[in-house]
Formats: sequence, structure tokens, C-alpha cells
Amino acid sequence: MKRFIAILLVALLCVTAIWATAVKEEVPDHGEKPELTKLKVWYSISGANGKFFEGQAAASDEAHPEIELELTYTGSYADSATKISAAKLSGDAPDVIVTAASQLYTGEDGNFAMEEDVKDPEFNFSDIQSGVLEYAKYYGRLAALPFGISTQVVYYNKDLVKAAGLDLEANPPKTWAEFMKVAKAVQKASAEGTWGFDTSDGVWLVKSMLSQNNNAVVELKDGKITPVFDNASGVEVANFWKNFIDEGVMPVGQHDNAEKKFLAGGLAFIAATSNRITRWPGSTTFEIGAIEMPGFKKQAVALGGSTITILATDYWKHDAAWALVKNVINTENQTAFAMTSGYLPIRKSSLELPEVASYIADSELYSVATKQLSYAWAFTHFAEMGSMDSFFWYALDDIEHGTKTPEESFKNAAAMVAKEIE
Amino acid sequence: MKKIKSLKKINWAAFIILMIGSLAMIFPFAWMILSSFKTVADVYTYPPKWIPSSWKLDNYAKVFDMIPFGRYYLNSIYTSLMQTLLQLALSICGAYAIVFLDFPGRRKLVTLIRSTMFVPMVVTLVPLYLIVSKLKGVDTYAGIILPQVFSAFTIFLLVSFFTSIPKDLCDSAKLDGCGCYRILWNVVLPNAKASISTAALFAFLGHWKSYTWPLIITNKDKYRTLPIGMKYLVQESSSEYQVMMAAAVMAIVPVLIVFVLFEKQLVKSITLTGMKS
Repeated sequence: MKRFIAILLVALLCVTAIWATAVKEEVPDHGEKPELTKLKVWYSISGANGKFFEGQAAASDEAHPEIELELTYTGSYADSATKISAAKLSGDAPDVIVTAASQLYTGEDGNFAMEEDVKDPEFNFSDIQSGVLEYAKYYGRLAALPFGISTQVVYYNKDLVKAAGLDLEANPPKTWAEFMKVAKAVQKASAEGTWGFDTSDGVWLVKSMLSQNNNAVVELKDGKITPVFDNASGVEVANFWKNFIDEGVMPVGQHDNAEKKFLAGGLAFIAATSNRITRWPGSTTFEIGAIEMPGFKKQAVALGGSTITILATDYWKHDAAWALVKNVINTENQTAFAMTSGYLPIRKSSLELPEVASYIADSELYSVATKQLSYAWAFTHFAEMGSMDSFFWYALDDIEHGTKTPEESFKNAAAMVAKEIE
Repeated sequence: MKKIKSLKKINWAAFIILMIGSLAMIFPFAWMILSSFKTVADVYTYPPKWIPSSWKLDNYAKVFDMIPFGRYYLNSIYTSLMQTLLQLALSICGAYAIVFLDFPGRRKLVTLIRSTMFVPMVVTLVPLYLIVSKLKGVDTYAGIILPQVFSAFTIFLLVSFFTSIPKDLCDSAKLDGCGCYRILWNVVLPNAKASISTAALFAFLGHWKSYTWPLIITNKDKYRTLPIGMKYLVQESSSEYQVMMAAAVMAIVPVLIVFVLFEKQLVKSITLTGMKS
């Protein structure tokens, strides 16, 4: 028996040794690290923000002589989507992209390498704001990292509000019902032709409102996305949107002109992206104020902006790309980018920096935007979300023009999203 | 006395209507030029301010700071001119063949060419990119120029003019022993100068403002054109209209030159055809 056990142990040892050798042989050979790794970086950040990003990327390039960056501006988010898709199809994809929902391009390939990348101890993953992180996920999995993150902020014309005898700093409206009353009062006290409220991006605002009404927009179950914005809580939001029109507070289908109207003094309140914070003050004849976005059952603001991801699959290219990503979203660079561009800091540590604390203390607008970060939210991102936005726009258009009831509009949009997913 | 007589001859109603029309046309142009000298505050002032509070060239300097304007400008001139020339050469041959030559399948070919006008560019963009990419055309002038050279619109614009040339002229030339190319060169082209100018103007304008294809097919500044640079100035967060206006003023110069060069021919072609739009 002893002999049998001994033979068995020896055999087991041999099998383990062979298996271990085999496993050792399976360790991928990445080849020798190249002396110079060239990276193609595509980004859809323009103007002064684009310049700032280019500066940061150039600084990273200088700090890493073994990496050479080729920076390419790719136009608007929509243009970038076409360019990236075409390049991917032709096998000539860039290595790093910074654009809206960049995670779609890695997620659709089942590329979730970012989940491993963020384990890098130098990166300090736990420092990223958790709500913001949701914005970089694809079907609930991390496929990118947040970069230029924004939320909508409700800005207002302080002169008009003051003339209406209201003090919003002391008594800001907490719910949309209260907000409606305030907007109507300011509109009534203002010159004829002044509107109470509008937004430059209706779809974005509706997503915030849906979340505030405990509606997740879409649900992910067993790997399948189902639109839920047409259920009872969603229809309540659609009906409220109709109220803006019925009460004469918001003009019909004028969202494209909303910002110009606000800056010209013809609009009391506007929900617009937080990155206006660095641009608007000083460019108007009136003072601009901001309030935290009103809510329904709870406070919530939908996240927007761009994310950054790595498309490079070659080991050394990916390694170099990660060095770049890590660099542009470290605390120092992210803070600088956020404070220049009006985007929001994605790292908790940014908010603790003295320069940020002082900026928040000095800027009422930025203070509101950063407060909103604590309840910022993102719906589950999926491949057809671009189409969903278009269907949302059609629904809002129908509601505002009265061509469909709010319920019909949302039901119709949800059916189209479901069909698109199918 | 003569002056008073000529003033009496003026149809004042028509004159006033035309003046209003002209002012309406000039308004955006004047606004663009004036805004290019304004400050941010001037741009957003309500009621709008016509005259800048201080005349400064800062906005023009900022354009050059933000983008390699000179490089983009030269690229735009080169690609637009090449595209226009090649497009005209192809379209003239195509229109000539359609109008003056009889060959089997002519009608089918005309239908096929015409049908391309109903396919939106966005549909062909990705397949076209794949083809050009396979041919190593990414980041090359050829990659920008060649895929945009064929234009059914230009062909049919020329066809509509060529059909007004009497066929007897071509028949006489044939009797004198002229071949196709000689007829085209010596008979058709001299009689179609106005129409070719119109086609050239439309083609140049179209290529000058072409944005999506050059954006898709180029990655390097070396090959990028002006519309891409102009788009870069459209800040995602909030556009600095005064800077964009300064860029637009500079961008419009070649278009004005082309228009001035072809103005006579354009007016002539409109008079000939009664084309009002």
C-alpha cells in the first residue's frame, strides 16, 4: 500500500511538473520592447480646450522619450464616430481615442483591457469618483476612463431674477414644480418676449429628469438592454415636459437657439453644460448665477462629455498608451484641464487641492457644478445609444409640437429603440 | 438735364425692391467683417452692436495661434483647384458623350449617372474610405482629390447647356473632317464658355467648403484643409464667434476672387438659360 501511495505521489509530482512547465511555456512572448513606440492619438476636443489637451499630451510626450505621439483632431463627436468606425474597419485604427462614449469602440470588440490597466498601483483607481466611472462603462463593464466630464447646470440671469424680487441664493427651487413657479414669476416680471426656461440639449436634461423620477432609462438584464423610459415614471417626465410648453415658459423647438437667447438676455433660466462656466462669465451684460438642478423624487444629474480609451492591442503599444492615459488623467493634469475647460474634476483628490477649493469658493457656478458631482449618474451605455438619442429628440419634438401625446411619444421612442437593439 | 431725365426713367418700385434685396444679401457679409474686429462682450451684447467698441486685430492673430492657418489655406487652394480642373475635364467629356454621341447603352448609362445624385454622401463615406485606404490614399493629396472628382451634378449642368448648341454646327464640323476631340475643342467649348464658368464656380465653391471627406481621409496637418481648421475654432464649450468671423473673412477671399473672375460668364449663362437660382 505504501509502495502504491509512493508511486502515486511520484506520478502526481511528474504530472504537476509537466503541467507547470506547460503553463510556463504559455506565458505570452511580447517580444523585445521597441526603442520608440509611435502612438496615434485621436481626439474630438476643439478650440482652447483642444489646445490645452494638446499641450498636456506634448508634455507627456516629452516626459517619455520612448513614446512618440501623433495627435489628430477628429472633428465633432459625430464626425469622430464616422472617422473611428471607418478606420477600425480598414484595420487602421488609432491607438488612443478621446471622444464621446469611446468605450463603445473597445466594448463592441469585447476589449475590456481597461479593467486590468486600472489595477496599476501608480494609477490610484479608487480616487476616481464612482458616479463618473459609470459613464465610462459598456454594458456595465469598464471599457474606458472618464476624461472631459460635464453635467448640465441650471444657469440664470441674475438681473431678471432680482427684478422679479426673488433671491435664489437663499431660496433655490428644489423641485421642478417649484422651479416652474419661479420661472413663470421671472418671465412675468421681465420684458415681453422673454422666456422663462429652455435648454440647449433637451435629451440630456430629460435623462436627468428620468433618473430623478427613479427611471433608469434602460435596464440591463441577462446581458440584454431594454428601454424602460416609457413606463409610468417616464411618462410622468414626458408630461412635465409638456407642461413647460403649455404654461408658456419654454418656446417650442428652439433649443438650438437657447444659448444665444440666454446670452442676449431673452431667457431667464437655461440648462446647459457645465463647461460654459469658464466661457460665459464676462461675456454678458448681466451677471450669471446658477442653482443646483431641481429634482422630482430625488436629485440626479446625467453625466456627459468625453471618455478616453485604448484601442491598441499590440502589447507594447498598449503599454505606451496606458502611460499616456495615466499621465493625462493624473490628479495634476486632470485638475488643470478641468479648471481651464470648465469640465468637472474626475478625481476626488482634485477637490482637495487648495487651488480647486479656492476656485470653488470664488466661483458660484463652479461650486454648483461640483456639488452636483455627488449625485451625478450615468445610464447603462450600449451600442445603440446614439440612435436612442435621435429617437428621444423625435419624441421631444412631438411633445412640444403636440403631434403626439407625451405617452405616445415616449412609447413610440422606446419601441424604436427596442427595434434597433433587436 | 440729362441726369434728371435718366432719373425719371428709373423704375423706383423695382429700384427699392432691389435695394432691399441687395442690403439683405450684404447684411451677413458686413456683419461677418465687423464681428471679426469685436470683443467677446461686443458679440453677445443685446441689442446687437454693429460697430466694435474698439477695432483690434487680435482675433486675426488668434486664428493663426489656434490653427496652422497658412498651411490649411494653401492645401485648400491646391485641392480645390485640382478638384475643379479634374472635375471639369471629366464632366465636359461626359456631357459631350451624352449629348453628341450615340452609343449602345447610352440611356442606361445616363440613368446610372443620374442615380448617383440620389445616394447621400454619408452612405458612401465608409466604403469609400476602405477603398482609398487599401490604395494607400490616407494622408495624401490624391486621397483627398480623386474620390471627389466625379460629379453627376456638373455633368448634367453641362448637359443642359450643351443641348442648346445647334447640332448642325457639329455636323458641319464632321463634314469638314473633324473628329470627336476636335469638335469638342473647336466647336463645343468655345460655345459653352459661360456654362463651363458656371460649372467651375459651383465646383470650386463645393470643394472649397468640403469638410467631411478631407477630415476622414487625413490625419496630419500637412494635408488638412481650411474647413477642418474652421471647425476646430468652433469650440465645443462655447464658440468664440469673433475668432470664427476673422477666420471666415480670410477664408472667403479666394471665393471672392473666383467669383470676380467668372462673374461676367456667370451672368451671361444665367441670361442665356433663364436660370434664376
